[in-house]
Amino acid sequence: MIMKLENENDLDNFIICHKCFTLHEEVAIADGSKACCRKCGYILYRYDSKLIDYGLALSFTGLIFFIIANFFPVLKIDILGSEQFITIPKTIFSLFENQFYIVGLICLFFIFIFPLMIFLINIMIFSMLKLQRGTKLTKELLIILSHIIPWSMADIFFISILVALVKLISFGQIHIGISFWALMVFVLIDIYITKNIHISEIWMLRKKVLLSKDKD
Amino acid sequence: MIEVDESKLIRCPICDAVNIDKGKKNRCRRCDSAIYHHRNFSTEKSWAYLITAMIAYIPANLYPMLVSNAFGIRDESTIIGGVVILWEHGSYPIAAIIFFASIIIPVMKFLILLYLLISVKYPLGKDKKVNKHKLYYVTEVVGPWSMIDVFVVAILAALIHLSSVEILAGTAATAFAISVFFTLLAAHAFDERLIKENR
Ligand SMILES: [Zn+2]
Ligand SMILES: [Zn+2]
Repeated sequence: MIMKLENENDLDNFIICHKCFTLHEEVAIADGSKACCRKCGYILYRYDSKLIDYGLALSFTGLIFFIIANFFPVLKIDILGSEQFITIPKTIFSLFENQFYIVGLICLFFIFIFPLMIFLINIMIFSMLKLQRGTKLTKELLIILSHIIPWSMADIFFISILVALVKLISFGQIHIGISFWALMVFVLIDIYITKNIHISEIWMLRKKVLLSKDKD
Repeated sequence: MIEVDESKLIRCPICDAVNIDKGKKNRCRRCDSAIYHHRNFSTEKSWAYLITAMIAYIPANLYPMLVSNAFGIRDESTIIGGVVILWEHGSYPIAAIIFFASIIIPVMKFLILLYLLISVKYPLGKDKKVNKHKLYYVTEVVGPWSMIDVFVVAILAALIHLSSVEILAGTAATAFAISVFFTLLAAHAFDERLIKENR
Protein backbone atom coordinates (compact mmCIF):
# COMPACT_ATOMS: atom_id res chain seq x y z
CA MET A 1 0.00 0.00 0.00
CA ILE A 2 1.32 3.46 -0.90
CA MET A 3 1.09 6.20 1.71
CA LYS A 4 1.41 9.95 1.15
CA LEU A 5 3.28 12.01 3.72
CA GLU A 6 4.06 15.74 4.02
CA ASN A 7 7.54 14.93 5.26
CA GLU A 8 9.35 12.21 7.15
CA ASN A 9 8.34 13.58 10.54
CA ASP A 10 4.75 12.65 9.75
CA LEU A 11 5.87 9.10 10.47
CA ASP A 12 5.60 10.06 14.15
CA ASN A 13 1.87 9.57 13.70
CA PHE A 14 2.46 5.90 13.01
CA ILE A 15 3.42 3.09 15.31
CA ILE A 16 4.55 -0.47 14.65
CA CYS A 17 3.37 -3.12 17.13
CA HIS A 18 6.20 -4.37 19.29
CA LYS A 19 4.99 -7.93 19.23
CA CYS A 20 3.65 -8.62 15.72
CA PHE A 21 5.03 -5.69 13.67
CA THR A 22 1.66 -4.54 12.31
CA LEU A 23 1.57 -0.89 11.24
CA HIS A 24 -0.93 1.39 12.94
CA GLU A 25 -1.84 5.04 12.64
CA GLU A 26 -1.92 6.84 15.93
CA VAL A 27 -5.29 8.22 16.94
CA ALA A 28 -6.23 10.50 19.81
CA ILE A 29 -7.64 8.55 22.73
CA ALA A 30 -9.35 9.56 25.97
CA ASP A 31 -7.30 10.44 29.04
CA GLY A 32 -6.42 7.30 30.99
CA SER A 33 -7.22 4.87 28.17
CA LYS A 34 -5.00 2.72 25.98
CA ALA A 35 -4.73 1.78 22.32
CA CYS A 36 -4.22 -1.90 21.46
CA CYS A 37 -2.95 -3.68 18.38
CA ARG A 38 -5.81 -4.76 16.13
CA LYS A 39 -4.05 -7.99 15.23
CA CYS A 40 -2.53 -9.29 18.47
CA GLY A 41 -4.01 -7.07 21.20
CA TYR A 42 -0.63 -5.85 22.50
CA ILE A 43 -0.76 -2.37 24.05
CA LEU A 44 0.55 0.19 21.54
CA TYR A 45 0.38 3.34 23.64
CA ARG A 46 -1.58 5.01 26.40
CA TYR A 47 -2.63 8.54 27.02
CA ASP A 48 -2.31 9.87 30.52
CA SER A 49 -2.19 13.63 31.09
CA LYS A 50 -0.48 13.11 34.47
CA LEU A 51 2.25 10.80 33.15
CA ILE A 52 5.11 13.11 34.18
CA ASP A 53 3.94 13.39 37.78
CA TYR A 54 3.17 9.69 37.98
CA GLY A 55 6.53 8.77 36.51
CA LEU A 56 8.37 11.08 38.86
CA ALA A 57 6.53 9.86 41.97
CA LEU A 58 7.00 6.19 41.06
CA SER A 59 10.70 6.56 40.25
CA PHE A 60 11.39 8.42 43.49
CA THR A 61 9.51 5.86 45.58
CA GLY A 62 11.32 3.04 43.78
CA LEU A 63 14.70 4.64 44.39
CA ILE A 64 14.01 5.03 48.11
CA PHE A 65 13.03 1.35 48.41
CA PHE A 66 16.11 0.36 46.41
CA ILE A 67 18.35 2.24 48.85
CA ILE A 68 16.61 0.62 51.85
CA ALA A 69 16.93 -2.79 50.18
CA ASN A 70 20.70 -2.37 49.96
CA PHE A 71 21.34 -1.26 53.53
CA PHE A 72 19.60 -3.93 55.57
CA PRO A 73 19.75 -7.74 55.72
CA VAL A 74 17.70 -9.68 53.18
CA LEU A 75 17.82 -12.98 55.04
CA LYS A 76 19.11 -14.08 58.44
CA ILE A 77 19.72 -17.65 59.51
CA ASP A 78 20.44 -19.24 62.88
CA ILE A 79 22.89 -21.98 62.10
CA LEU A 80 24.80 -24.00 64.70
CA GLY A 81 24.22 -21.32 67.31
CA SER A 82 25.53 -18.41 65.26
CA GLU A 83 23.48 -15.90 63.31
CA GLN A 84 24.45 -15.26 59.70
CA PHE A 85 22.90 -12.67 57.43
CA ILE A 86 23.21 -11.36 53.87
CA THR A 87 22.60 -7.99 52.30
CA ILE A 88 22.48 -7.47 48.53
CA PRO A 89 25.96 -5.82 48.37
CA LYS A 90 27.36 -8.58 50.61
CA THR A 91 26.01 -11.28 48.26
CA ILE A 92 27.77 -9.67 45.30
CA PHE A 93 30.93 -8.94 47.28
CA SER A 94 31.30 -12.51 48.53
CA LEU A 95 31.42 -13.73 44.91
CA PHE A 96 34.48 -11.51 44.33
CA GLU A 97 35.99 -12.71 47.62
CA ASN A 98 35.72 -16.30 46.40
CA GLN A 99 37.34 -15.42 43.06
CA PHE A 100 34.11 -15.74 41.08
CA TYR A 101 34.89 -12.51 39.22
CA ILE A 102 32.74 -13.14 36.12
CA VAL A 103 29.65 -14.17 38.08
CA GLY A 104 30.38 -11.30 40.47
CA LEU A 105 30.53 -8.75 37.66
CA ILE A 106 27.37 -10.11 36.05
CA CYS A 107 25.51 -9.93 39.36
CA LEU A 108 26.91 -6.47 40.10
CA PHE A 109 25.55 -5.10 36.82
CA PHE A 110 22.30 -7.10 36.54
CA ILE A 111 21.02 -6.72 40.08
CA PHE A 112 22.66 -3.52 41.29
CA ILE A 113 24.02 -1.06 38.71
CA PHE A 114 21.36 -1.44 35.99
CA PRO A 115 18.28 -1.34 38.27
CA LEU A 116 19.76 1.71 40.03
CA MET A 117 20.59 3.43 36.74
CA ILE A 118 17.09 2.85 35.36
CA PHE A 119 15.51 4.62 38.31
CA LEU A 120 18.03 7.49 38.32
CA ILE A 121 17.59 8.00 34.56
CA ASN A 122 13.80 7.90 34.90
CA ILE A 123 13.96 10.57 37.60
CA MET A 124 16.20 12.74 35.40
CA ILE A 125 14.02 12.36 32.30
CA PHE A 126 10.74 13.08 34.08
CA SER A 127 12.27 16.03 35.97
CA MET A 128 13.46 17.55 32.71
CA LEU A 129 10.09 17.02 31.06
CA LYS A 130 8.49 18.67 34.07
CA LEU A 131 10.87 21.64 33.76
CA GLN A 132 10.39 21.62 29.95
CA ARG A 133 14.08 21.61 29.15
CA GLY A 134 16.97 19.33 28.18
CA THR A 135 15.98 18.37 24.61
CA LYS A 136 19.38 16.85 23.89
CA LEU A 137 20.02 15.24 27.27
CA THR A 138 16.61 13.53 27.40
CA LYS A 139 17.38 12.02 24.00
CA GLU A 140 20.72 10.61 25.19
CA LEU A 141 19.16 9.32 28.42
CA LEU A 142 16.30 7.61 26.56
CA ILE A 143 18.79 5.82 24.30
CA ILE A 144 20.84 4.61 27.30
CA LEU A 145 17.62 3.53 29.01
CA SER A 146 16.49 1.29 26.16
CA HIS A 147 19.93 -0.34 26.07
CA ILE A 148 20.00 -1.25 29.77
CA ILE A 149 16.37 -2.21 30.43
CA PRO A 150 16.72 -5.76 28.98
CA TRP A 151 19.68 -6.37 31.31
CA SER A 152 18.05 -5.37 34.58
CA MET A 153 17.19 -8.46 36.62
CA ALA A 154 16.02 -7.28 40.05
CA ASP A 155 12.76 -9.21 39.64
CA ILE A 156 14.58 -12.44 38.80
CA PHE A 157 16.87 -11.93 41.79
CA PHE A 158 13.83 -11.58 44.04
CA ILE A 159 12.39 -14.89 42.84
CA SER A 160 15.85 -16.42 43.41
CA ILE A 161 15.66 -15.34 47.07
CA LEU A 162 12.38 -17.26 47.38
CA VAL A 163 13.95 -20.35 45.83
CA ALA A 164 16.97 -20.01 48.15
CA LEU A 165 14.60 -19.77 51.13
CA VAL A 166 13.17 -23.20 50.38
CA LYS A 167 16.64 -24.68 49.92
CA LEU A 168 17.73 -23.19 53.27
CA ILE A 169 14.97 -24.71 55.39
CA SER A 170 17.07 -27.78 56.26
CA PHE A 171 20.00 -25.62 57.46
CA GLY A 172 18.37 -23.78 60.34
CA GLN A 173 15.88 -21.19 61.50
CA ILE A 174 15.44 -18.52 58.81
CA HIS A 175 14.35 -14.93 59.40
CA ILE A 176 13.27 -12.59 56.65
CA GLY A 177 14.93 -9.17 56.88
CA ILE A 178 13.70 -5.63 56.14
CA SER A 179 15.46 -5.61 52.77
CA PHE A 180 13.42 -8.57 51.61
CA TRP A 181 10.23 -6.49 51.86
CA ALA A 182 11.91 -3.36 50.51
CA LEU A 183 13.18 -5.32 47.52
CA MET A 184 9.71 -6.75 46.96
CA VAL A 185 8.18 -3.26 46.84
CA PHE A 186 11.00 -2.09 44.56
CA VAL A 187 10.43 -5.00 42.18
CA LEU A 188 6.67 -4.37 42.11
CA ILE A 189 7.25 -0.70 41.25
CA ASP A 190 9.84 -1.72 38.64
CA ILE A 191 7.37 -4.15 37.03
CA TYR A 192 4.60 -1.54 37.19
CA ILE A 193 6.78 1.04 35.41
CA THR A 194 7.97 -1.35 32.68
CA LYS A 195 4.43 -2.58 32.11
CA ASN A 196 2.78 0.83 32.15
CA ILE A 197 5.26 3.33 30.81
CA HIS A 198 6.73 2.25 27.48
CA ILE A 199 9.81 4.06 26.26
CA SER A 200 7.98 4.99 23.05
CA GLU A 201 5.41 6.82 25.21
CA ILE A 202 8.20 8.87 26.81
CA TRP A 203 9.51 9.68 23.31
CA MET A 204 6.00 10.81 22.33
CA LEU A 205 5.73 12.87 25.49
CA ARG A 206 9.15 14.39 24.88
CA LYS A 207 8.07 15.47 21.41
CA LYS A 208 4.90 17.01 22.79
CA VAL A 209 6.56 18.79 25.72
CA LEU A 210 10.01 19.76 24.44
CA LEU A 211 9.96 19.87 20.64
CA SER A 212 6.65 21.67 20.16
CA LYS A 213 7.92 24.31 22.56
CA ASP A 214 11.04 24.88 20.42
CA LYS A 215 8.88 25.71 17.41
CA ASP A 216 6.98 28.51 19.16
CA MET B 1 5.16 15.55 -0.36
CA ILE B 2 6.67 12.07 -0.37
CA GLU B 3 5.18 8.72 -1.22
CA VAL B 4 6.20 5.56 0.57
CA ASP B 5 5.24 1.96 0.24
CA GLU B 6 3.89 0.74 3.56
CA SER B 7 6.11 -2.34 3.37
CA LYS B 8 9.13 0.01 3.30
CA LEU B 9 8.51 1.10 6.86
CA ILE B 10 10.68 -0.30 9.63
CA ARG B 11 10.81 0.13 13.38
CA CYS B 12 13.86 1.44 15.20
CA PRO B 13 14.94 -1.25 17.69
CA ILE B 14 16.09 1.37 20.19
CA CYS B 15 13.33 3.99 20.31
CA ASP B 16 10.46 2.34 18.36
CA ALA B 17 10.18 5.25 15.89
CA VAL B 18 8.81 4.36 12.44
CA ASN B 19 11.42 4.90 9.74
CA ILE B 20 11.59 4.59 5.96
CA ASP B 21 13.86 1.76 4.86
CA LYS B 22 16.47 3.45 2.67
CA GLY B 23 18.60 0.40 2.03
CA LYS B 24 22.10 -0.18 3.30
CA LYS B 25 22.73 2.45 5.93
CA ASN B 26 19.58 3.23 7.82
CA ARG B 27 19.85 5.65 10.69
CA CYS B 28 16.88 6.34 12.91
CA ARG B 29 15.53 9.86 12.34
CA ARG B 30 14.72 10.21 16.05
CA CYS B 31 17.63 8.67 17.97
CA ASP B 32 20.35 8.18 15.30
CA SER B 33 20.73 4.45 16.05
CA ALA B 34 21.68 2.18 13.18
CA ILE B 35 18.84 0.04 11.85
CA TYR B 36 19.66 -3.05 9.82
CA HIS B 37 17.57 -5.71 8.29
CA HIS B 38 18.30 -9.24 7.34
CA ARG B 39 18.97 -8.82 3.65
CA ASN B 40 22.06 -6.69 3.96
CA PHE B 41 23.32 -7.54 7.38
CA SER B 42 25.43 -10.59 8.06
CA THR B 43 24.45 -12.88 10.89
CA GLU B 44 28.04 -13.59 11.91
CA LYS B 45 27.95 -11.65 15.15
CA SER B 46 24.83 -13.41 16.35
CA TRP B 47 26.26 -16.80 15.29
CA ALA B 48 29.50 -16.13 17.19
CA TYR B 49 27.63 -15.21 20.39
CA LEU B 50 25.30 -18.18 20.08
CA ILE B 51 28.13 -20.68 19.51
CA THR B 52 30.03 -19.26 22.51
CA ALA B 53 26.88 -19.63 24.60
CA MET B 54 26.35 -23.24 23.49
CA ILE B 55 29.98 -24.19 24.16
CA ALA B 56 29.82 -22.61 27.65
CA TYR B 57 26.63 -24.56 28.34
CA ILE B 58 28.54 -27.88 28.17
CA PRO B 59 30.87 -27.29 31.19
CA ALA B 60 27.90 -25.62 32.90
CA ASN B 61 26.26 -29.03 32.99
CA LEU B 62 29.34 -31.19 33.57
CA TYR B 63 30.99 -29.30 36.44
CA PRO B 64 29.46 -28.84 39.89
CA MET B 65 27.17 -25.86 40.36
CA LEU B 66 27.17 -26.10 44.13
CA VAL B 67 29.82 -27.42 46.52
CA SER B 68 28.93 -27.98 50.14
CA ASN B 69 31.25 -28.80 53.01
CA ALA B 70 29.49 -30.09 56.12
CA PHE B 71 31.66 -31.35 58.96
CA GLY B 72 34.39 -32.45 56.61
CA ILE B 73 32.11 -34.17 54.14
CA ARG B 74 32.40 -32.60 50.71
CA ASP B 75 29.40 -32.82 48.44
CA GLU B 76 29.25 -31.55 44.88
CA SER B 77 26.15 -31.30 42.73
CA THR B 78 25.66 -30.38 39.10
CA ILE B 79 22.62 -28.49 37.83
CA ILE B 80 20.75 -31.72 37.05
CA GLY B 81 22.02 -33.28 40.29
CA GLY B 82 20.62 -30.35 42.25
CA VAL B 83 17.23 -30.76 40.57
CA VAL B 84 17.19 -34.48 41.35
CA ILE B 85 18.06 -33.85 45.03
CA LEU B 86 15.29 -31.26 45.34
CA TRP B 87 12.83 -33.65 43.71
CA GLU B 88 13.80 -36.51 46.05
CA HIS B 89 13.34 -34.23 49.05
CA GLY B 90 9.83 -33.45 47.91
CA SER B 91 10.42 -29.83 46.86
CA TYR B 92 8.62 -30.39 43.57
CA PRO B 93 7.77 -26.77 42.70
CA ILE B 94 11.35 -25.59 43.33
CA ALA B 95 12.78 -28.57 41.43
CA ALA B 96 10.45 -27.70 38.54
CA ILE B 97 11.45 -24.00 38.59
CA ILE B 98 15.18 -24.81 38.53
CA PHE B 99 14.71 -27.46 35.84
CA PHE B 100 12.72 -25.04 33.72
CA ALA B 101 15.08 -22.09 34.26
CA SER B 102 18.36 -23.98 33.85
CA ILE B 103 17.55 -26.65 31.26
CA ILE B 104 14.35 -25.95 29.33
CA ILE B 105 14.78 -22.18 28.80
CA PRO B 106 18.45 -22.25 27.67
CA VAL B 107 17.94 -25.24 25.34
CA MET B 108 14.75 -23.73 23.93
CA LYS B 109 16.55 -20.42 23.34
CA PHE B 110 19.42 -22.19 21.55
CA LEU B 111 16.98 -24.03 19.28
CA ILE B 112 14.86 -20.97 18.50
CA LEU B 113 17.91 -18.80 17.77
CA LEU B 114 19.43 -21.56 15.61
CA TYR B 115 16.17 -21.85 13.70
CA LEU B 116 15.87 -18.08 13.25
CA LEU B 117 19.49 -17.71 12.18
CA ILE B 118 19.21 -20.53 9.63
CA SER B 119 15.82 -19.40 8.38
CA VAL B 120 17.01 -15.90 7.45
CA LYS B 121 19.57 -17.47 5.09
CA TYR B 122 17.54 -20.42 3.81
CA PRO B 123 13.78 -20.51 3.23
CA LEU B 124 13.12 -22.82 6.15
CA GLY B 125 9.54 -23.16 7.32
CA LYS B 126 8.31 -20.42 4.97
CA ASP B 127 5.25 -22.45 4.05
CA LYS B 128 4.40 -23.31 7.65
CA LYS B 129 3.63 -19.67 8.50
CA VAL B 130 5.67 -19.63 11.69
CA ASN B 131 5.37 -16.26 13.36
CA LYS B 132 9.04 -15.55 13.86
CA HIS B 133 8.37 -12.27 15.64
CA LYS B 134 6.29 -14.06 18.26
CA LEU B 135 8.93 -16.76 18.62
CA TYR B 136 11.59 -14.14 19.15
CA TYR B 137 9.41 -12.16 21.53
CA VAL B 138 8.94 -15.24 23.73
CA THR B 139 12.69 -15.90 23.95
CA GLU B 140 13.29 -12.25 24.78
CA VAL B 141 10.82 -12.34 27.67
CA VAL B 142 11.70 -15.71 29.24
CA GLY B 143 15.43 -15.68 28.40
CA PRO B 144 16.78 -13.78 31.44
CA TRP B 145 14.92 -16.10 33.84
CA SER B 146 17.59 -18.75 33.29
CA MET B 147 19.77 -16.69 35.66
CA ILE B 148 17.76 -17.97 38.68
CA ASP B 149 20.10 -20.82 39.59
CA VAL B 150 23.20 -18.60 39.44
CA PHE B 151 21.55 -16.07 41.79
CA VAL B 152 20.41 -18.84 44.14
CA VAL B 153 23.95 -20.23 44.34
CA ALA B 154 25.30 -16.71 45.00
CA ILE B 155 22.81 -16.23 47.86
CA LEU B 156 23.51 -19.63 49.44
CA ALA B 157 27.27 -19.20 49.17
CA ALA B 158 27.13 -15.74 50.76
CA LEU B 159 24.91 -16.90 53.61
CA ILE B 160 26.37 -20.28 54.60
CA HIS B 161 30.07 -19.96 55.25
CA LEU B 162 30.92 -21.25 58.69
CA SER B 163 34.08 -23.23 59.35
CA SER B 164 32.08 -26.43 59.86
CA VAL B 165 29.26 -25.90 57.35
CA GLU B 166 29.99 -24.12 54.12
CA ILE B 167 28.44 -23.69 50.68
CA LEU B 168 30.56 -22.61 47.73
CA ALA B 169 29.71 -21.81 44.14
CA GLY B 170 31.10 -24.32 41.65
CA THR B 171 32.86 -23.89 38.30
CA ALA B 172 29.54 -24.43 36.54
CA ALA B 173 28.24 -21.13 37.95
CA THR B 174 30.79 -19.19 35.89
CA ALA B 175 30.20 -21.31 32.77
CA PHE B 176 26.45 -20.98 33.13
CA ALA B 177 26.56 -17.21 33.69
CA ILE B 178 28.75 -16.85 30.57
CA SER B 179 26.33 -19.00 28.62
CA VAL B 180 23.31 -16.91 29.63
CA PHE B 181 25.17 -13.67 28.96
CA PHE B 182 26.13 -14.70 25.42
CA THR B 183 22.67 -16.07 24.63
CA LEU B 184 21.26 -12.66 25.56
CA LEU B 185 23.89 -10.96 23.40
CA ALA B 186 23.06 -13.27 20.48
CA ALA B 187 19.36 -12.50 20.85
CA HIS B 188 19.94 -8.75 20.99
CA ALA B 189 22.31 -8.85 18.02
CA PHE B 190 19.62 -10.71 16.11
CA ASP B 191 16.74 -8.35 16.84
CA GLU B 192 17.81 -5.87 14.21
CA ARG B 193 17.70 -8.46 11.49
CA LEU B 194 14.15 -9.51 12.16
CA ILE B 195 12.70 -6.08 11.71
CA LYS B 196 11.44 -6.33 8.16
CA GLU B 197 10.53 -9.96 7.97
CA ASN B 198 6.87 -11.01 8.03
CA ARG B 199 5.68 -7.45 7.60
ZN1 LIG C 1 0.39 -6.59 17.35
ZN1 LIG D 1 15.39 5.31 16.99
